[in-house]
Amino acid sequence: MVKRSVIIAGVGGQGLITIGSILGEALAARGYNVSVGEVHGLSQRGGSVVVFLKYGDGAVSPIVTQSEGDVLVGLELIEAVRRLPLMKKDGVVVVNDFLLPPPGSKTVPARDELLAALPRGNTYVLDARELALRAGSDIALNMVMLGAVVATGVLDLESSEVEGVLSKRFKGEFLKINLQALRLGYDSIKKGPKY
Amino acid sequence: MFARIGLILSLDLKIVAKAVISGGPGERRLLLGNEAIARGALEAGISAATAYPGTPSTEIVESLAEVARDYGIYVEWSTNEKVALEVGIGVSMMGLRALVAMKHVGLNVASDPLMSLGYTGVVGGLVIVSADDPNAHSSQNEQDNRIYGIHANIPVFEPSTVQEAKDLTRELYELSEKFRMSVILRTTTRLAHSRSPVVFGELVRHGRGASFHRDPERWALLPPYNLVKHREVLERLEELSKHLSDFKFNSVEEGEEDTAIVVSGVAYNYVKEALEELGVRLPVFKFASVFPLPRGLALKALSYKQVVVVEELEPVLEWQLKILAYDEGMPARIHGKDVLPRVGELNKEIVKAGISRILGIPYEAPPAPVPLVELPRRPPVLCPGCGHRSTYYAVKLAAQRAGVKPVYANDIGCYTLGFYPPYQMADFTWSMGSSIGIGLGIARFGSEPVIAFIGDSTFFHAGIPALINAVYNKTPLLVIVMDNGVTAMTGHQPHPGSGVGAMGEQRPTVRIEDIAKAVGVRFVETVDAYDVTAVRDSVQRALKFLKETGEPAVVISRRPCALLVLRERRRRGESFKRYTVVKEKCINCGICVDRFACPAIVRDTDGKVAILQDMCTGCGVCAAICPAKAIQPKEG
Repeated sequence: MVKRSVIIAGVGGQGLITIGSILGEALAARGYNVSVGEVHGLSQRGGSVVVFLKYGDGAVSPIVTQSEGDVLVGLELIEAVRRLPLMKKDGVVVVNDFLLPPPGSKTVPARDELLAALPRGNTYVLDARELALRAGSDIALNMVMLGAVVATGVLDLESSEVEGVLSKRFKGEFLKINLQALRLGYDSIKKGPKY
Repeated sequence: MFARIGLILSLDLKIVAKAVISGGPGERRLLLGNEAIARGALEAGISAATAYPGTPSTEIVESLAEVARDYGIYVEWSTNEKVALEVGIGVSMMGLRALVAMKHVGLNVASDPLMSLGYTGVVGGLVIVSADDPNAHSSQNEQDNRIYGIHANIPVFEPSTVQEAKDLTRELYELSEKFRMSVILRTTTRLAHSRSPVVFGELVRHGRGASFHRDPERWALLPPYNLVKHREVLERLEELSKHLSDFKFNSVEEGEEDTAIVVSGVAYNYVKEALEELGVRLPVFKFASVFPLPRGLALKALSYKQVVVVEELEPVLEWQLKILAYDEGMPARIHGKDVLPRVGELNKEIVKAGISRILGIPYEAPPAPVPLVELPRRPPVLCPGCGHRSTYYAVKLAAQRAGVKPVYANDIGCYTLGFYPPYQMADFTWSMGSSIGIGLGIARFGSEPVIAFIGDSTFFHAGIPALINAVYNKTPLLVIVMDNGVTAMTGHQPHPGSGVGAMGEQRPTVRIEDIAKAVGVRFVETVDAYDVTAVRDSVQRALKFLKETGEPAVVISRRPCALLVLRERRRRGESFKRYTVVKEKCINCGICVDRFACPAIVRDTDGKVAILQDMCTGCGVCAAICPAKAIQPKEG
């Protein structure tokens, strides 16, 4: 039985797959069956990317279908709104306050329009880049978002479990920055108000 | 002209995690489907792995390459899939186990030796992985390669989960040797690119002595022996079909209804979720062996009143079951593609809808979403600093100057993205090497020149014979080799021009210029892809040459992949000058943002252009093309 379905949406190059695989590893360590799958277009960079994570007991399929998602982690506003149809009515949205217009696009919705499309009451908005820079590097943006989704409490994960996975995966200065970014993301949700 | 990228690649390989050998028996790790296949092959004790990279197959041999030295196996990126398979066949003739991996369309390239391999069979176990791409996420079609197995008389197996991908791979080596047949392991994108927990088995080092199994009557495919071999392989398939009913990867889950499900591959997971949500308990026959059918199990499934076959793409199981039912006089009503789509991939909802139709139970699709905001599309783009962009830009200028409207023949690789605005320089994209080949047919009868774009890796893969054809049959066509030094699109695998092998070792460099000259091209020029003027002028000269001589010309536009260069800089902690727009000088002509279209250049809220500093790689091409000299290196 599928327990939770997670959607991670953003633009190629933002580190979405890493978020998925770290969450997956932590959930697998809890004994769940996990499936983390990525969908991307042609290129390595700049395209629309979505990662599906599902976990539960028994068979778990790799696709999140319409109205199935429990959590949406959006690393960019347009991409977050693009994946809203996959969300349950009462699903939780954690979104990075960042708008990257697709190159060459003539009609780009305004930030406020995009924010207004997100479900009120169940949405958390944070400036992940700013927090990542505070942790030491803009590359750690994905770790901020990882910390944020853990803080929502929708997944059966403690922050310490995710930290454990990071400690196995990274070393030295890079680990320090990532752990710090994770914590800043976590705290900003725990302390901050919902959108 | 430029430093090759060998060093970058070898450094790259040193830092990657060795996921497929870093755990002992019984350990549970999160693995990518492709990594699981690699692990399974190592648990089977393979001696060699070969492949040409292609999504979604790439990570199989990539993860084997990472551990090849430590582990003592041979891994190569082959020039193309045909060569990869041929190397694998040779290894098998030495009595050793080999893995050959490719994406679905790659098997088309390898199909020539494949067809005969069906007749000869193998000595050492040989598993051919065909990574299919239902939904054509990153492919030119969604062909179902299970049919290749039927066509070639080669058994086909399909895992349903990542764990099974590992276990089945290991098991298939035993089966391959027992029945002396190569086997196709068919995966799909959703399995190849899914991560799930996998319990490891024991790693086995092959420890076999390699010796050539001399058997000319078997290996030399000459007329008197071929019919004998054809008969033999059919007998072996029949034998295998009986054996497969006890094959542990084919399973039956009992149910309460008189309708049975037959399913293969990743669709098993959709079936399980769908049945649970529909609240019905149907018997589920999961076939890991797709061809031949496990005869006993298939008959058992056909003993139900109704059978619903759930499979992605073509009705491969359905056809076989219908034939079997007819032959055996079984009355079961067999459903499949009458209620499930033949196009695209399946998912839980599609399967739910199909099964509920057969069972006659109500099904309500999730409500259609109401778009709250109109969203722009986000097609993939050429990276900032990519040499392909400046090449396209320069070629367009050259065509304008020459007053011609070329047919732009394009090929498979990152540069295919030249299809999208503002370039729109891909009048067709077909298959590997076809820009030149199809271009030849167009050039033969066209009045405007044909400009064929092809990448370095693709040139080696399938471009050379077509180029030889252009010389031999004297066809005027301009080939622009967009050389960034690696197979970039699939994640930077080296090729014969990279000067480095799959395991990061130094290798001789095969020079594209030398090949072009050697096959008789009389116009061969190499230019810096960033030097717009140089590329433009070279292309203009080439077009003139085409017109005057009626012969083909080759321009090699070269720059190492910008992503790799950037990564290497980051690793070394090197700083570089980024560019910025001096707003007072900007005349807002839009050339940089609308026509050059680097993703790092955007229109600011004031309507003027600006450069996103995070994304700028400092290539400086935008500065060179700015007519107002408003783009300049940033101080400090």
